[in-house]
Amino acid sequence: MLGPNGAGKTTLIKILCTLIFPSTGTAKVNGYDVLKESRKVRESIGYVTTDERSFYWRLTGRQNLEFFANLHNYYSKKAQSRVSDLLSIVNLEKRADDPFLSYSAGMKQRLAIARGLINDPRVLFMDEPTRSLDPKAAQDARDFIHDYIVSEQEKTIFLSTHNLNEAEQLCNRIAILDEGKIKVSGTPQELKNGLGSNSTLSDVFTSYSGKRLEEEKQPKSSFMKEMRFRHRGGLGMGRR
Amino acid sequence: MILRKAFAFIRRSYMLQMSYKLESILRMFFMLFNILTYYFVAKLVGTAGAKYLEPYGGDYFSFVLIGIAFSTYLMVSLRGFSETIRDEQMMGTLEAMLVTPTDTTTVITFSSLWSFIFASIRVVLYLLVGIFLGVNLNNANLLGALIILFLTVLSFSSLGMLAASFIMIFKRGDPINMMFMSTSELFGGVFFPIEVLPWWLQSISHIFPMTYSLSGMRHALLQGYSLHDLLPEISALVIFCMILMPMSLLIIRFAVKRVKEEGTLVQY
Repeated sequence: MLGPNGAGKTTLIKILCTLIFPSTGTAKVNGYDVLKESRKVRESIGYVTTDERSFYWRLTGRQNLEFFANLHNYYSKKAQSRVSDLLSIVNLEKRADDPFLSYSAGMKQRLAIARGLINDPRVLFMDEPTRSLDPKAAQDARDFIHDYIVSEQEKTIFLSTHNLNEAEQLCNRIAILDEGKIKVSGTPQELKNGLGSNSTLSDVFTSYSGKRLEEEKQPKSSFMKEMRFRHRGGLGMGRR
Repeated sequence: MILRKAFAFIRRSYMLQMSYKLESILRMFFMLFNILTYYFVAKLVGTAGAKYLEPYGGDYFSFVLIGIAFSTYLMVSLRGFSETIRDEQMMGTLEAMLVTPTDTTTVITFSSLWSFIFASIRVVLYLLVGIFLGVNLNNANLLGALIILFLTVLSFSSLGMLAASFIMIFKRGDPINMMFMSTSELFGGVFFPIEVLPWWLQSISHIFPMTYSLSGMRHALLQGYSLHDLLPEISALVIFCMILMPMSLLIIRFAVKRVKEEGTLVQY
């Protein structure tokens, strides 16, 4: 979901996550109606927000994740095991017992992703997941999303961004949202082809919204070296 | 499962509170000064109010100790739920909780559980210090006191949920909190028996659950009234619960629905 600030991206995500009721119309997530079956929607989704205030700063990363695991009805050893696995996946196991307030922005975002994966959701909503990160940390996060969550775990990700590179790099399908309306949607290639050869996603965006978005320079990724993926059996992260 | 979830909220709140150890210790410590103040006021009052205090054992310090100890539950109930919502809004954690399968009403009610436990610890401390200073609880009917306490927490919590509903919609200025906080000490009999009031003010006292709660608690703890003797207070509190609990659940559901429609749940 690509759009400028104020386009309605966050509002749309909140509606799909059942945090806001739609004023008109209907929406379904994983086949569940967001109004009539809101609990089933929430059971089947994860939500990753960039708001680092969404954690308890004086609790450790592990304590935070265990609390949110409890809210997802994971208790005792099941919760502890799930949290340990997730901390390992996002490479926070060494800092797991440090207070959240001591984490860097990148670590906070990794913990937010771990929280989004607690219930092994079929769909993960990510609201501008790299907004508060520096370019390198942002690229690392994109690589993790692409290589682990999408390619390896085969999760569906609904991601909002105003970063054209991010959209092009991560998305199989893009919808351009402006002033609360979807102007166009399709694969990045379809959208670009629609404007003729040599068109960029930026051209597509400008053509449909009449606005320009700033593009971010791409740093070289070192993500795969930093992240330790543990392909242990029984992690329970695969698509069911 | 509901108990495990309740425990999860209690554990989280406990860990947060213990991360501010000094505050917890100071709150307990300075509470002692509050008790001592009333101890010396009681010395000054002496037997001046004996006529009014006779149904409660005749001793002013015992009377007022029970009053301030158990009025803590009203304060916690009225403030607890709305402050919980406001704290979670300000910390930014409310939205992260509400996107889980745990429903909004559970999040709001369970988030306040620790406040009630902390209040209970304070009440026990009040009573222990009171015993040390001469309050006689030898004849206490503990079962009766627990029944009164249970009904007190239920009825006060219902008022707290009503207050939280106002906070959710209007963000500030909830009339339930203002009304009960400012009038319960006068009409509820915290510092003096309501019999001191003129008859027309006494009639107002009877619409406050605090009146029955404190009266029942004093009769149970100081006079050792049997369950049969406590029936008037127990019946009144049951009636308050039967009216207030469904009303508060309905209203808080309406409030949640409304703020979700308006998209203002996390605004403060």
